Amino acid sequence: MGRRLAIGAIAAVGFVLGMVYAWRIAFIDGTELLFDSGWWLMLLAPFLGVLAAGLTRRTNPVVEGDRVLRHDGPAILEHWTHGIGTLVLLVTGLALGAFFIPSLLSQRQVWAAMNVHFVAVVVFLFGTFYYGANTLLSRNRFREHLPTKNAFRFTVQHYGRLLGNKKYDMPPEQKYFESEKIAYLLALVSTAVVIITGFLKVAAHIFDVPGWIMGVATPTHDIAMVAMGLFFLAHVLFAAILPMGWPMLRSMFTGYVPLDYAKSEHAGWVKQIESDGDKPVPIKVPKRPAA
Amino acid sequence: MSENEERNDEEAYSPQSGLSRRQFVTGLGGIGLGAVLGGVVTGGLAQPASAVAIEGSEGYLVVDGHKCIGCDSCMMACSLTHHGDLSFSQSRIQITQNPFALYPDDLTVAQCRQCPFPACVEACPTGACHVDAAKGNVRTVDASKCIGCERCVNACPFTPSRAIWNGLEKHAEKCDLCADTPFWNEKGGAGGKQACITVCHMKAITLQKDVPVQAGDVGYNVNLRTKDGSAQLNLPTGDDGFYTPAEIAAAKAAAAAAAAAAVAKVGH
Repeated sequence: MGRRLAIGAIAAVGFVLGMVYAWRIAFIDGTELLFDSGWWLMLLAPFLGVLAAGLTRRTNPVVEGDRVLRHDGPAILEHWTHGIGTLVLLVTGLALGAFFIPSLLSQRQVWAAMNVHFVAVVVFLFGTFYYGANTLLSRNRFREHLPTKNAFRFTVQHYGRLLGNKKYDMPPEQKYFESEKIAYLLALVSTAVVIITGFLKVAAHIFDVPGWIMGVATPTHDIAMVAMGLFFLAHVLFAAILPMGWPMLRSMFTGYVPLDYAKSEHAGWVKQIESDGDKPVPIKVPKRPAA
Repeated sequence: MSENEERNDEEAYSPQSGLSRRQFVTGLGGIGLGAVLGGVVTGGLAQPASAVAIEGSEGYLVVDGHKCIGCDSCMMACSLTHHGDLSFSQSRIQITQNPFALYPDDLTVAQCRQCPFPACVEACPTGACHVDAAKGNVRTVDASKCIGCERCVNACPFTPSRAIWNGLEKHAEKCDLCADTPFWNEKGGAGGKQACITVCHMKAITLQKDVPVQAGDVGYNVNLRTKDGSAQLNLPTGDDGFYTPAEIAAAKAAAAAAAAAAVAKVGH
């Protein structure tokens, strides 16, 4: 925990210093936009994320006494790099102007905001590709994020019961609520769209990209920004602002949720963890055929 | 899936490639990282530093403030040919009027100077404001790339800014020497016609190929008065800018002396 705290603190300080540097150099005459001089970092970050995922060993959820390991270290890392990156991108992106909303900045501030946007892009790309590669390696973790065929029905029942309607009878909740799984799809699609269109916009700093591509990429980027913004607001509301989400928020730092909380809110998930833990499965490493 | 089963899934090798999924992901990340870093190092060390030269425009609008009568026909023609709309706000050439000033300072023609080192092009973060080599190196805005940051409008060192904001279509625009005029069936650009020049009945605007003097306004606010017209007003003629009051007085004196000599000759 102490090591995690130290690493997190160092990363946070580094990120803040990076943003301050990016903002300040924009006001120095003769300096280039970071999107022009540092575009290669936007290629480096995804590959670094993929490499990090390849070198990462995951720890599955497990009950430890009166608490449950819900988020291991990689999960915490990918969440915060993606999340903090998204926050800064949304703020700077909105400040730079989108659709009919004019830029809130003037002159050199526009350049400075674009530089800060660049720093957040690098962090965001690392976090997203780290998550993507981890998901490729642990496909069960992706499957548990996807909504089931009962997504809408269970969502209505979940919030109905929350509001006091006892007549709803649904199976015990798994690790993620169905409403969260639906929101996950929104986040997935909007992230993919914002990354693809973002790369096209950055490509225009290097090549002469045809105007019609930019004419499509820019408003699409804006639409994806709005979708991500909506998801972000809902996520922050339910996970950080409403008291019912505070145990989950703590677990995004410590990795653990109280066992009582897990049994109350995610009984199906706890049962699955406990039943998996009861079954010893021998390690089977397939042997390579002789050369 | 238990932790052990998950490890088996990740470590399971593919009979085709002989690689496990984890090995593939690690290799992909490592190779990509190496390629990017290698490219950066190679590009930084192997390639010499280069300077980017911006080609000069092949045409420059020059005006004669003495001839302009403030009819605003150029502004109307500019907005009509570019937008099909009569709007002074969408004109890329502006006539400003100062009712408290005396002639010739009561009217100012603010045309784009097609600067040899365009601040608007340098300021644009997306390349929307650029030098169009295909159209005589005219400095123009590609509206489809414009993100509306208005840095070009702020960057223009002149007042009013020669790069203007189109509030209806939400993009910047500027004088392109009529290179792109969807509402005018004439070939424009540095080698073609300009609507403002065509419509100006005072012939107060013209296009010249040589780079004007950049210091001050003398290069862009020139003497376009014809020899015949100026002679009738007893004003000296020339194409190299303004004359001082002393030069004008000397020219008038010379003209008067010549007229007196002509009268005297007739008298004899």
